[in-house]
Amino acid sequence: MEASGIFMTATAEFADALAAMRPMLLKIARLQLRNDTWAEDAVSETTIAALEGAAHFAGQSQVRTWVVGILKHKIIDHFRKSGREISSDAQQEAEEVETFDQLYRADGHKADEPQDWGDPETTLSRTQFFEILQTCIDKLPATLGRIFMMREWLEYETDQICKELGISSTNCFVMLFRARMRLRECLELNWFSSGKAQSAQ
Amino acid sequence: MNSRWVRITCREAHVLLSERMDRPLPAWRRLRLRLHLAFCDMCTRVNRQMSVLREGMRSLGR
Repeated sequence: MEASGIFMTATAEFADALAAMRPMLLKIARLQLRNDTWAEDAVSETTIAALEGAAHFAGQSQVRTWVVGILKHKIIDHFRKSGREISSDAQQEAEEVETFDQLYRADGHKADEPQDWGDPETTLSRTQFFEILQTCIDKLPATLGRIFMMREWLEYETDQICKELGISSTNCFVMLFRARMRLRECLELNWFSSGKAQSAQ
Repeated sequence: MNSRWVRITCREAHVLLSERMDRPLPAWRRLRLRLHLAFCDMCTRVNRQMSVLREGMRSLGR
């Protein structure tokens, strides 16, 4: 059987595909774990698990989804084992609060008017959008980036997050709010306002 | 009804939009948010943008 587009794990072809995915997996792991060693370990474990798991796939995107799923679980396991290691840098947090407040005027209105982002379907089909999204997440202050990814990518419930990170529920919501508004600004600045949204048709 | 008790600022609306992504809002807050969105195009945009952000995250890595 040699129909193209059918991947079977435990073949040389699959091993090559995994190798090609490595940079992306590393990027995701680094974003989450904020530590190169942990990230490399997680990706190595993911690679091994993927090579060991024999399966048929109808195409590359299915393979990718499956492998990323393995990585997600490795990351969740890491969080469970290591508890709350992100130290809250008081200085960094103070800066974050200050810069965040500049997004709004004193009367509670937004400082800049939000743009129209156009058709979501078109946006989400652009690979460039995801690159910029990843960059924007990377730019977030460490604590905000982490909580955002736990909520939106690992899809933890907020009470799970509060428990894992040992923070109050109020704090949780405040941090998610800040993370989302900052991401909104960053996306608008870099994707939607730069003309990329329109030109990438 | 004194409108001071009902009207919220855009920043407060954004806080509620964000909270709503994590849990259902209590009735009073839900009402205030709905009223604000009815009259504020900018916050209506931000609301849509939050959906795009969430959808984008669901697709990340696929």
